[in-house]
Amino acid sequence: MSSNTVTLAHGAGGKQTSDLIDKVFKAHFSNPEFTADDAAVLPKIDSKLAFTTDGFIVSPWKFNGGNIGKLSICGTVNDLSCMGAKPMYMTCGFVIEEGFDLDDLEQIAAAMEKTAAEAGVKIVAGDTKVAGKGQVDGVFITTTGIGSVQEGADTSGKYARPGDAVIVTGDVGRHGCTILLARDEFGIESDVDSDCAPLWGTVSSIFEVTKDVHVIRDATRGGVGTVLYEIAEQSDVGITLDQTAIPVDDRVKGVCGMLGLEPLYLACEGRLVIFAPAENAEKIVEKLREGKYSKNAAIIGRVTEDNKGKVIMETEIGTQTILPQPKGELLPRIC
Amino acid sequence: MNEQIKAARDIITGYKGRPIRIMEVCGTHTHEIFRLGIRKLLPENIDVISGPGCPVCVTAVGYIDEACWLALEKNCIICTFGDLIKVPGTEMSLAGARAKGAQVRPVYSPLDAVELAKENPDKQVVFLAVGFETTTPSACLAAKQAKEEGLENFSLLTANKTMPNAYNALVGSADAFIYPGHVNAITGNAACKKLCEEKGVSGVVAGFTANELLIALAVAIKLLEKGEPFFKNCYPRVVKDEGNLSAIKLMDEVMEPCDSEWRGLGVIPMSGMKLREEYAGYDSRIKYSMPEIKGRPNPACRCGDVLQGKCKPSDCKVFGKVCTPLHPVGACMVSDEGACSAYYQYSGII
Repeated sequence: MSSNTVTLAHGAGGKQTSDLIDKVFKAHFSNPEFTADDAAVLPKIDSKLAFTTDGFIVSPWKFNGGNIGKLSICGTVNDLSCMGAKPMYMTCGFVIEEGFDLDDLEQIAAAMEKTAAEAGVKIVAGDTKVAGKGQVDGVFITTTGIGSVQEGADTSGKYARPGDAVIVTGDVGRHGCTILLARDEFGIESDVDSDCAPLWGTVSSIFEVTKDVHVIRDATRGGVGTVLYEIAEQSDVGITLDQTAIPVDDRVKGVCGMLGLEPLYLACEGRLVIFAPAENAEKIVEKLREGKYSKNAAIIGRVTEDNKGKVIMETEIGTQTILPQPKGELLPRIC
Repeated sequence: MNEQIKAARDIITGYKGRPIRIMEVCGTHTHEIFRLGIRKLLPENIDVISGPGCPVCVTAVGYIDEACWLALEKNCIICTFGDLIKVPGTEMSLAGARAKGAQVRPVYSPLDAVELAKENPDKQVVFLAVGFETTTPSACLAAKQAKEEGLENFSLLTANKTMPNAYNALVGSADAFIYPGHVNAITGNAACKKLCEEKGVSGVVAGFTANELLIALAVAIKLLEKGEPFFKNCYPRVVKDEGNLSAIKLMDEVMEPCDSEWRGLGVIPMSGMKLREEYAGYDSRIKYSMPEIKGRPNPACRCGDVLQGKCKPSDCKVFGKVCTPLHPVGACMVSDEGACSAYYQYSGII
């Protein structure tokens, strides 16, 4: 086995394990709370806490606009942010396939460092396991995060109310489309890139306008369409969308047209779906459009009392149809 | 809503004439008609029905059985357009064959199957060539490329179909047809014009945007009101009278007409395409001395009647109960372009 790949010895707990941790992880994740002990001891946080975990097994591990490292930070940061919580601390667990390239692992750790710094979150503990060849595909990462829930923030998928406006923070479906093309199964070439981004900044900019926001949800696997169905169900309301208002990148439109896919069901990794009282919606969108990751924010629909549990589409010819729910597996392993 | 859409809407919603039936022949039109909610605009005296224009839907049960036989008995890698994987055969679908260890790969283009064959010289690769004039040229191109390169591990299981003879079989099922724009873009308009002149069959060629589809429908309604048989090309930006001559030449060079079995419609003489004798080495049935495989459709499924406009999907007693997009009993529930799938997905509201 080449000296520049991960070996089973790297996971055996001996010197090679500590070398790997020092050279790859400590080098990138260093901060005062990063622990060499069995658990990180954190300063007291004087607020309600949000606490979440997520696993990442994307294939391929590297794609246009990011890699599994960036994704693993964004996923957990965004889950915390959706609860109105400022991401504070994270842990990460790696399961690495024997033979994985060390330079690639370094690239993943570097992306995690950069993304965590941007999100203002500290990586304080981690774990590394090496699995035999073929037992995992490349590298799998699990991240866990704690966030400080901001005073006055109270969001949940249960809180959508008739009359609320539905906002998306940008064009939909880019991550799913990017991964689909990165797999090179369709012979379609496009420079479409993932929307993968840490969104605490986006959420906090909304809070500068108002904290009267009912739902914030990041549209990951299953895309915006799946999130809307979940919220319609959880809040027992109907949702009506304006087809022509939904932002979709032209490249994504093209790919979806060719492959017969609905962009609303393609994954995003840097898009939020927000439900807020209609009177604040314009102000929120205006503020969002100033942000780095939400320039194409738009109001795409409204919450209704009727059609409970359903998502209705107002089409470009002025009719209403139901948004069909996806049939089974669309894309395996996109996040 | 733009002015053209508004004008077309007014014609459709304002129709006050005799009851009329319009059949969209193309699966993509079926899907778009549902997506756009066009049926909700129709007054009671206009019925829009779906025809046999989804290539997955019209593929006979026996064809799936043949593909499973190649996959399981001959260990061929099966390359196919994705929708076909879930279509039920007599015993199993290709997904079922895959669960038994068969290699089944979805591809976007037949040329991808040729590439796969080149990359795996020790494996036999079969491309499932289904579809109408829109996909047949690319299957022909794949056969031609394989022959030119002397590939010995690639073949096609053909079930390609041609539209004009199906129109003949459908005469009488509707007052007017909405012809599939992308088929006419290849074949040209001669067959449709002939049907109009000789048999008084009316129809319009439609494109696929909301504008194009709605306008074609409005034109058909206006012309039906006049009472004379008509043919009108409402998709002139893409469809030329003579069609796509190079695609026609390629198809003629590689394939020839043959009788073909359509799910629901039975065998329609000369409505299929098979490889010419010079390409016999690339015909999976010949290459593997395939025995005659006769499929047995599920007797409870009424896909056949649905495909001829004789019943609505909701009239079938398995529809939406045992037959759903996740567990399709018939082919029309599999593809997004299938009438049953469209009815199912867009049902249950307003």
